[in-house]
Amino acid sequence: MIEVRNLTKRYGKLTANQDITLTVYPGELTVLLGPNGAGKSTLIKSICGLLRFEGSITVDGHDNHSAQAKRLLGYIPEMPALYPMLTVREHLEFVARAYKMHDWEPWAQQLMARFELDDKQNKLGKELSKGMQQKVSICCAVLTHPKAVIFDEPLVGLDPHAIRELKNLIAELKKEGCAMVISTHMIESVEENWDTTCIMTKGTIARTCRREELTGGSDLEDLYFSITEGREMAE
Amino acid sequence: MNSLVYLVLVSAKNSLKELLHKPGKLILYLLLAAIIIGLILLTLFTSEISTERLPLFWLQGIYFAFVVLFLVITIQKGLTSGDVIFDMSDVNLLFVSPVNPRAILLYGIIRLAKVSFWAGFFILFQSSSLSNFGVDFGGLLVLFFLFILSMVVQSILSLVIYSVTNGNPKRKLWVKVITVLVFVPMVAFFAVQFLQTQDPMAALAQTITSPFLCAVPIAGWTAASAIALLGGHYLAGALWLGLLVLGGGVMVAYIMLSKVDYYEDVLVATETAFEKKRAAQEGDVNAASASPAKVRVTKTGVGGFGASALFYKHLRETFRQNRFGFFGIYTLITFVCILAASLFMRGFIDVVVILQVLMWMQIFMIGNGRGLKELYVHYIYLIPESPFKKVLWSNLELVFKTLIESVLFLGIPGIILGGNFLVALASMATYTLFSLLLLGINYLSMRWTGANISQGILLFFYFLAVVLLMLPGLVPALVVGFSVGGVVGTLLALAILSGWELLAALLCFALSKDVLHNCDMPSTKPTGK
Repeated sequence: MIEVRNLTKRYGKLTANQDITLTVYPGELTVLLGPNGAGKSTLIKSICGLLRFEGSITVDGHDNHSAQAKRLLGYIPEMPALYPMLTVREHLEFVARAYKMHDWEPWAQQLMARFELDDKQNKLGKELSKGMQQKVSICCAVLTHPKAVIFDEPLVGLDPHAIRELKNLIAELKKEGCAMVISTHMIESVEENWDTTCIMTKGTIARTCRREELTGGSDLEDLYFSITEGREMAE
Repeated sequence: MNSLVYLVLVSAKNSLKELLHKPGKLILYLLLAAIIIGLILLTLFTSEISTERLPLFWLQGIYFAFVVLFLVITIQKGLTSGDVIFDMSDVNLLFVSPVNPRAILLYGIIRLAKVSFWAGFFILFQSSSLSNFGVDFGGLLVLFFLFILSMVVQSILSLVIYSVTNGNPKRKLWVKVITVLVFVPMVAFFAVQFLQTQDPMAALAQTITSPFLCAVPIAGWTAASAIALLGGHYLAGALWLGLLVLGGGVMVAYIMLSKVDYYEDVLVATETAFEKKRAAQEGDVNAASASPAKVRVTKTGVGGFGASALFYKHLRETFRQNRFGFFGIYTLITFVCILAASLFMRGFIDVVVILQVLMWMQIFMIGNGRGLKELYVHYIYLIPESPFKKVLWSNLELVFKTLIESVLFLGIPGIILGGNFLVALASMATYTLFSLLLLGINYLSMRWTGANISQGILLFFYFLAVVLLMLPGLVPALVVGFSVGGVVGTLLALAILSGWELLAALLCFALSKDVLHNCDMPSTKPTGK
């Protein structure tokens, strides 16, 4: 579903991503792990078409800048950027109208209820806490029934209920065949659902590992520290 | 070494070091310094050859009005959150440390002077205009430093107002009443003079030279001191200056002696400023920009379908932010100022002069349009529509706003000034098309640089592009205008300029085609993740 081929992104002299190749299959969750400054956010923003880059990125075979690719893509940014003068419901309405959606309201209502936003529908973006803003951001991204969803640190600021809902939502999206990329520092939060893990260091993917490749009692955390700090993995 | 002295010195040292590591920033500073020196040299040159000088008291009126503008903002700040004296790092590290709160306040005031220095920086660019009043380089510095001092005193006033009125609506009301009362004698004096002379300009001149203007705290004292010093009345100048310093001193003494625990009073303003700064650094310009504290949500919903949803969203935001829609505070203030200038300076100015000022202002104000701000949020990049449609619909609100402004700022004053109606109409076209060209230049700057450069350098490219793209239209317009002369000359000049603006704008938009696919989302710089 998502194909990244030889992606390189430079900011002046700084190379944020170097020759990255990555494939995310339908119904799979790919986790991006790595220390601060590894280039995870840059990769995510490049996939979403927010940055220029060298190489190619396609979504379901369409160039990621094309309207067809954009229609298939949902993005939850690290910092939820809401419009201060729009209400919660208007954010969803705006996205639905911009994506030319019909009959979006029942699904929007359902999403707002799941993330406990239904009683805050008329609250303005500027009146919401960061956690609430993140919930709206998640609802906006999945409202359009995307076939690929990109999460950049989606759990930051969320309350326990919303974290549980998001985990359930990810599981549901997987079942529906949605390809997902998630960048997170909270390794345990993706332990249940992950299929592929890319451990990034210094702008490159140091190791790509599929769930079935993990041996015995070792888990994602062991894998992460074995790559980033050279520790031995648990057997 | 004292911790606060250490903090000041190390901060200064690190700022210089940073400058050396960022050549672009260094070049900008050097360029800025070169421009100021150039302007100062120009002042020295023009003040020698200039024979006709405008009376100095007019400068007093302008300077006073200017300080009053800042004073009103200061009082407003004091009534809401207080002024920003400290950084969040001061709150987190200094406030909890065993350093004397009085010393910390003094440190804050010194920092404030540095901020005020930049706030008053634009005065140094006014050397050419000020030479008309016979103000030389020394006079320019007097105006500059008095403005800085006034800003420092105003910030202290803001802190005092917040400290005294915080959570007390009755006291807030009193502050508002006192604020109005200090201007009453001056306004009453103007009214009496106007009734006697029936000449608004004469009444204004009498008011400016009267003690009622000088008596207005801070603004009156600052203006009186400046003009006395410029006029060579050093004793009077020193007395007004002394009053200003004494006023500031008394307020500092009040804070120090009556309420040592001022931390709470500065916290809200510091946290708000920090949040806005953080949002701006992260590229969230919507959160960083000012919005009214209380908004009543009445009508809801967004119209449109596809890219047009951007336009309807902008309309909803604009009308929610301000119940009068396009008639925001900027429009209102500009309209009142132009209206006053048209009424009082009839015979001295025409609509083309107003157009020139508006075009200068528009260069800076265009960035406030919702269309350009939209580029800092990811939604516009993700909407599955062509970039051209998205850019078009996201700027339509600004086009409507500019059209309305052109009627208010140029059409109505044109009628009041009694000039040729066609000239007013042509000015309206020039103004509206200039906004379109500025939009085009903004997109072109982004397209060419990919927005993968610092905002300062991007701004520099923008100004350079404005100058370069305006010259091919401006030069023939001026040549034809001056050669033909009269109303016909003005009309021809405006027609040439409008035509060029339209052509250049279309060229810019054509060259910046697919800009949304070919630039980095502004401020999307490596975050360290």
